[in-house]
Amino acid sequence: MRGEFYKTLSSPIWWGVLAVAATLPFMLSSYYLHILTLSLVYVALASSWNIVGGMAGQISLAHSLFIGIGAMLSSAMLLKLGINMWLGLLISALISGALGVAIAWIDFRFQLGHLSFVLITLAFAEMGSIIVEGWDFLGGASGLLLPKDTGNFLAFQFGGGDGAFWMMLALAAICVLVNVAILNSPLGYYLRTIRDNEKAAQAIGVDILRYKITAMAISAVLASVVGTAYVRYLTFADPYLLISPVITIEIVLFATVGGLGRAYGPALGALLLVPLGEVLRGKLGSTLPGLHYFIYGIVVIGVILVTPRGLLPLFEGLWRRWREAR
Amino acid sequence: MSELYQALAQGLLIGSSYGLLALGMGLVYGVSGVVNFSHGDFISLGMFMCLALYSALSLDPYVSVIITVPVMTAIGALVYLFLIRPMVGHQFLMVVQLTLGLSLVLQNGILMVFGGQPARTPSVVESKLLLLGDVVLRVPHLIAFAVSFVLAGGLYVMLRSTDFGRSIRAVHQNAHAAALMGIDVGRVQVMTFALGIGILALAATLLLPGTPIQPTQGLRYTVITLLVVVLGGMTNFVGIMLGGLVIGIAEAFGTIYLEGPLGLLMPYLIFVLIMLFRPQGLTWSSSR
Repeated sequence: MRGEFYKTLSSPIWWGVLAVAATLPFMLSSYYLHILTLSLVYVALASSWNIVGGMAGQISLAHSLFIGIGAMLSSAMLLKLGINMWLGLLISALISGALGVAIAWIDFRFQLGHLSFVLITLAFAEMGSIIVEGWDFLGGASGLLLPKDTGNFLAFQFGGGDGAFWMMLALAAICVLVNVAILNSPLGYYLRTIRDNEKAAQAIGVDILRYKITAMAISAVLASVVGTAYVRYLTFADPYLLISPVITIEIVLFATVGGLGRAYGPALGALLLVPLGEVLRGKLGSTLPGLHYFIYGIVVIGVILVTPRGLLPLFEGLWRRWREAR
Repeated sequence: MSELYQALAQGLLIGSSYGLLALGMGLVYGVSGVVNFSHGDFISLGMFMCLALYSALSLDPYVSVIITVPVMTAIGALVYLFLIRPMVGHQFLMVVQLTLGLSLVLQNGILMVFGGQPARTPSVVESKLLLLGDVVLRVPHLIAFAVSFVLAGGLYVMLRSTDFGRSIRAVHQNAHAAALMGIDVGRVQVMTFALGIGILALAATLLLPGTPIQPTQGLRYTVITLLVVVLGGMTNFVGIMLGGLVIGIAEAFGTIYLEGPLGLLMPYLIFVLIMLFRPQGLTWSSSR
């Protein structure tokens, strides 16, 4: 089982793709580099959500909380308390992880069905955004402006543009690797058993509480860390972007389009949709605001109707057929 | 003391419209097991249609109903036929993602047509007030209250004593058995979904006077509707109307008695507590 993970780790293709990607800042204009960096943020977020939403089959809409804590809390601690952002990242990640554990525990303790889980996590997400918007320490409704990024690595600064891209590339790679690792570990098999039939899983002795909590904690910590890196890149902690349920909905839709529960599915979805959306926004954003979301929505509906399991399985099927035809 | 009465009255009046919003969702859930996450965006759609009709023909929102209700009903039928029915038989959770996608489409379609500025649709009764002792009541709220309950009563009678109503209840209780009894289950599901969206057009008009509207409001209405439906025990008709009143009152008390964000949190807190400790909803009847 674990063999698959080590095979990925030692695969020349994996490292080759990463190495080529790492040279992109030397080839692209800053505009396209910005789009790629954003895509990597969403690759990382969608992959971290996939651990809970895809593998365990629990559509959590609470991930905006983890992203928001990672972004808003670490910024607030830096600006209001002078806490180094590396430490802030760690504290936020721990709090997010604890919150994730609490949510998973509530889910287990009260035996929430799939639908109730969606609803409760959505309620938590709404409460989170109301709290942040009403609490001045976290920036309130107007948000927080971070100091300029001077490239001081010890202060969690990466020098904007190129440095931020490399940081995001590393984070996205880690998130995808964690997906590969979990999918090929006992945890991954347990999660999929829980997704496919929770009662049967319980009957054969799968410790549901333990695996749900583990999955949620890993997912929450990753989302929180990505949130901190994202806010450092944006330099503006905007509550309407970072702790609004809309960011979770975007992530869920990217993951669905790419392929839920697959290691590379959410990454594929984000890599296809974010550049499409950003280019549309750049070209038509001033005349037709909202066009990119409109297109996302159409793509999602189309993909779900045509290939409900996502684009990755569809592409794999086509590839296999093409190979057999030769 | 007058503050208390004021909160109570305001909550009851607003809550009745919330109940109406939720009836449509409850009906649809009961018959097809679909929870529509674009519910609130359909409310937006209804409101912006009223705005368009006002700008084009200067129709009062209460008159626009003649146009918005049939149009929205037709849209509901099409959405069910072409988007939701193909998903039946697939994993139930895919419908969640599908309607989330639909929500993005509706919300941003409205944004592209109307722009992002908050807008208002005037009505003749908009600023009329009624004084009951110390309590100030806004006439649009009174109209909303009356219409909501008349409509809820009408729906109740329809469900009890017409053939269509009986077939809805039959499908709700046991779709398989209903099909064996010769009920066209597919047709009932389409018509219920269309009816649910049609009711939303009415509810949109009732909520509209005096309320600034903007395209991004949809998700908030979806969440409120979900709160009410869950409080009401998902499919219990009386329970849902009651749930609407509870959420309305919670909101009114929250905004009057608690400062800032805490007040806004009230309905969500109540929702989470009820979800955890009384997942079957507020009413005590043992039927599901």
